[in-house]
Amino acid sequence: MITVTLQRDKCIGCNYCREHAPQRFTMSKKDGKAVLLNSVEKRGFFVARVHDDELDSLQNAAAACPVKIIRLSGY
Amino acid sequence: MAPAGGFDSMMAAIQGGANSVYFGIDQLNMRARATMNFTLDDLPEISRICREHNVRSYITLNTIIYDHDLPRAKAIIHTAKENGITAIIASDQAVISYAHSVGMEVHISTQLNVTNFETVKFYSHFADTIVLSRELSLVQVKKITDAIKVEKVKGPSGRLVEIEIFVHGALCMAVSGKCYLSLHTQNSSANRGACVQNCRRKYKVIDQEDGHEFAIENEYIMSAKDLCTIDFLDDVLESGVSVLKIEGRGKGPEYVKTAAQCYREAADAYFTGTYTKERAAEWKYRLENVYNRGFWSGYYLGQKLGEWNDTAGSKARLRKIYLGKGSNYFDKIGVAEFLIESYSLQKGDQILITGPTTGVIEAVVEELHTDKGPVEKAEKGQYCSIKTDTPVRRNDKLYKLVAADK
Repeated sequence: MITVTLQRDKCIGCNYCREHAPQRFTMSKKDGKAVLLNSVEKRGFFVARVHDDELDSLQNAAAACPVKIIRLSGY
Repeated sequence: MAPAGGFDSMMAAIQGGANSVYFGIDQLNMRARATMNFTLDDLPEISRICREHNVRSYITLNTIIYDHDLPRAKAIIHTAKENGITAIIASDQAVISYAHSVGMEVHISTQLNVTNFETVKFYSHFADTIVLSRELSLVQVKKITDAIKVEKVKGPSGRLVEIEIFVHGALCMAVSGKCYLSLHTQNSSANRGACVQNCRRKYKVIDQEDGHEFAIENEYIMSAKDLCTIDFLDDVLESGVSVLKIEGRGKGPEYVKTAAQCYREAADAYFTGTYTKERAAEWKYRLENVYNRGFWSGYYLGQKLGEWNDTAGSKARLRKIYLGKGSNYFDKIGVAEFLIESYSLQKGDQILITGPTTGVIEAVVEELHTDKGPVEKAEKGQYCSIKTDTPVRRNDKLYKLVAADK
């Protein structure tokens, strides 16, 4: 399993993560920032545990993020 | 018109005598990376402060807008209208058209690079004020303002379209909004307000065939100096512009206050016939005390291209050192108490106090007291009190100003 963390308050809504990993990210209609699907919030950080088959797309998303707020661990 | 990156800078702009302030909300503005952007919840308070001081308020909503941004952009425009914000500064047609359709005043951002009269005419269907491209000469600016008067080009309000230009602050080394360096290197689009300022770094030139490195005089090969027009502000005002805009939402409140003050005094002097080159030199000296990368006149005088900065950060004559924060204010005797958290404070020190309500206070320490009575010096960990003319609030920041080379 991979742990994905999104520090959402710093998101600038560029849409890169959605382009790379549409299964895991969507853009909020409310505030235009990224939403990490099926995540839980801990003090402003959104955390999701996902299967290893998402690794490639999540790594691409994390690398593309201009404000570096996507972190992956546990793989 | 002065920048407000936070409440402290907004108060500083007002104290400096600005007629209007501009600021960003959330991520949809050219300083999206900044941590100090306001949120929608701040709008009532911003609006209250601006009304109280009779200052106009403008929201910058001038990034490229994607479909997923539209609900947020609309929400910002709605909330701005509800709270009596004066206008929206926009560049994306979606924002321009929506703001116009709900009766919100629109200003055209410099991001649209308006460089000719026909474009002004085009945008006058939507906007009352147009910020011209920073790359025009004053001769070109004057042609545009003259043509507006001759052809009586009016905005939606029925008044003649007003022309606004940047008069002070950082310049983009590219034509503003047309730079893709940050996007190419860090995926971080300048046009989404996320510029990482590649142009402010040092570069090497290497011969790829034999690996030889060229010696270059200035390794900051594309870091433009800052714009300063104070020494030819008479020419600027004669070009027919109505609004003088100061750049710097990412800069400190002391910069905002000084810049607003200098340009306010200079503009007032021009209109009362007391603007002289000697006074302009004094204002320039004061502007050199706060954040700057060295000054040049930009493109307004039609000079040779680009003057380049040769340092990483500011060339300000003065540097601020954080000392501590406000802990109490004794209203009746006009004395502020501070806790010194680092370095020390001495009699005769030049100090700077900033805060969200206080704005900016600059003073020289004439008397200094601790619990032991009058002292020459207060050290780290001590509480000390200083006389101030205006109230200081709890948690206001205390700095001392020292020469930058010390």
